[in-house]
Amino acid sequence: MSDSEHRRLADVLVGYSTAVQPGDVVRIEPFGSASPLARELYASVLRAGGHPAVHLAVDEVDEIVLKEGTDAQLEWIPPDQERHLTTGDVWIVIDAPANTRRLTGVDTERMAKQLTARGPLQSRYLERSAAGQFRWLICGYATEASAQDAGMSLRQFEQVLHRAAFLDADDPVAAWNRFAERLERAGSFLEGVSELRIVGEDTDLRMGVQGRTWIRSKGLRNFPDGEVFTGPVEESVEGTIRFSFPAMRRGRQADEVRLRFEGGEVVEATARRGEDFLREMIALDDGARRVGEFAFGMNDAVGQYTGNLLLDEKIGGTVHLALGRSVPGTGGVNQSGLHWDIVCDLRDGGEVYADGDLVYRDGRFLPGVLSS
Amino acid sequence: MRDQRLVNLAELIAGYSLSLQGGQAYRIDAEEVAIPLVVELYRAAVRRGALAYTRVEPSGLEEIALEEGSDDQLAYIPEDERIASAELDAWCTIWGTVNTRALSGADPERRRRQIATHYRMVAERWKRISAGTLSWCGTLYPTQAHAQDAEMSLGEFEDFVHAACHTREGDEPVAHWQEVSKLLAARARELQNVRELRIVGPDTDLRVVVEGRSWVPGDGKENMPDGEVFTSPVESGTAGEIYFAFPSIFQGREVENVRLRFQEGRITHAEATSGQEYLRSLLDTDAGSRVLGEVAFGLNYEIDRFTRDILFDEKIGGTMHVALGAGFDEAGTRNTSDLHWDLICDLRAEGEVYADGELVWKAGSFVTEPAADLV
Repeated sequence: MSDSEHRRLADVLVGYSTAVQPGDVVRIEPFGSASPLARELYASVLRAGGHPAVHLAVDEVDEIVLKEGTDAQLEWIPPDQERHLTTGDVWIVIDAPANTRRLTGVDTERMAKQLTARGPLQSRYLERSAAGQFRWLICGYATEASAQDAGMSLRQFEQVLHRAAFLDADDPVAAWNRFAERLERAGSFLEGVSELRIVGEDTDLRMGVQGRTWIRSKGLRNFPDGEVFTGPVEESVEGTIRFSFPAMRRGRQADEVRLRFEGGEVVEATARRGEDFLREMIALDDGARRVGEFAFGMNDAVGQYTGNLLLDEKIGGTVHLALGRSVPGTGGVNQSGLHWDIVCDLRDGGEVYADGDLVYRDGRFLPGVLSS
Repeated sequence: MRDQRLVNLAELIAGYSLSLQGGQAYRIDAEEVAIPLVVELYRAAVRRGALAYTRVEPSGLEEIALEEGSDDQLAYIPEDERIASAELDAWCTIWGTVNTRALSGADPERRRRQIATHYRMVAERWKRISAGTLSWCGTLYPTQAHAQDAEMSLGEFEDFVHAACHTREGDEPVAHWQEVSKLLAARARELQNVRELRIVGPDTDLRVVVEGRSWVPGDGKENMPDGEVFTSPVESGTAGEIYFAFPSIFQGREVENVRLRFQEGRITHAEATSGQEYLRSLLDTDAGSRVLGEVAFGLNYEIDRFTRDILFDEKIGGTMHVALGAGFDEAGTRNTSDLHWDLICDLRAEGEVYADGELVWKAGSFVTEPAADLV
């Protein structure tokens, strides 16, 4: 990406996504190397009147504490991070991995321990976010590693991200505002629905969503973005689902995951590969067996699977659910150290029924369903 | 591939300089280019049971802040810095940048504000370091930029840095610095009895009163590399002339061939062959900037050349340095200033130092070993 493209992206992230105001305390945290974007974000936040700081997260640091740290070290949260998440205004994370599989060799129990320790702080900032006191944003960034996962060159993957972020539009912010209207229609339609039934190959899953709020995810918390999601009624999830895309988490992967739910809990979990990993994640805590999120991916500028969850869960024509913690603001009440999104492609024959009516087929809402 | 020398340096800083203990909260600060050393320092800390985290920034942020920031933004101190200053047990600062002159062309007034904010930010930290409740060590990660300043290749400069730290492959760094610590402590105790130093060298004859002040050994705890003994002179007691053959550098800008004349502790005349105006502006910083805050002997003989980096230059074996401006609390200073500018005086070829009239230093070294009973 050129300097001017970095600046264009930074101005969208600061002006539209996080809407930085004068006096806002802004933490910019690249995971991996994204310094050209970090510098433009720093400049853009200054122009908006905020107080930026850049904290580069060093890949090896995480690896070292996971492999060599005591429990106390693993569970410790640095004071600057805790302080910012509990009192700061804006947190922009840039996901720029140098190697997406660097943690594959790490003991999953230790990862789980670290996750569990971070749970309360995560809940705290998500609550602050739901209450409008804190804005957080995860921004995708093309690196050789993420391009490699997508089976592309770096330049190709940059273009995928660029399109998905509407940066090819004359006025990207206007494009996001138009897209937000479409998400609004989907959200308000779904808020009139009591029960959803997802039907596809090896999939027939029902869940209650009555009384829950559908969040229109329009580029404010993820970038690129484009989904509507809620927390289903916890005990209502029943049936089976097979996920077309691999379930990934911190360099580990389970392929062709199948889950069977009874009374809202996973009672059977299999995978063609990585089943042990799948079981360990589900066994993290009580809440890890329940669904914390269900969502429709709505971004049609993201077409192909890339192995990058930030993008894949937004693909227009997919749905995803997350095992574990609910997102505050949806009405979901599930607690867990886990929040693990797994994506199911419905573009080839998938169907969704809303209170018994077919409303969605082959990855698209039927004509008329989302008209206002 | 891991560089064993960086592993040695990290182990030395964690184990010897900071004596990291289990449960201590510890932060490592660096620019992105120094990540290889950050990683080794972090690993060494984790192995000692410390609660460590890193504060790594991309290069170039200060420049952006100068260009884009309002006065309020330049004066802002982040809350997490306040908390860290108040609460941490140990701290390592890695200097090491991709361009040592990136801010040479910055607006001086805005840069002055930015530096003043930095000083306000670290003031609390320094109080705790002086009081002994916070362990701190500053070190350097060798980069192309620093190698270039030192007029060496990167490989040559890396060798130089690790020789100065005694962290080459096969070195025993901790044993070395423990020995240095003993010698410097003995030297400091000897100097404790001195009332007045007279420094004589090329175009130099300066008397510095040090009576009643404490001499502090720079033995690798707060700097790595290290190797000096220093004190803060009696403020009104400096008289005479001193010439600095090495370029004198402050915040990336050079002043050459500085000559200073002191009367009753204050600079009454200052000249330089280049950078004269910058020299004047630094001397006019505030009331304390024309008074010596430090006088010191450089005693690291592995550091045998000028590098344009004060971490090394002030320790060049055989030199003395003085600092204009702020003195050290632990030495008993009364001089305060926003300036602390070290200037190096090369005494290796023909310098002499007299302590209360007695020759103690000639041609770059003390004339006697520290008395055996002091070691």
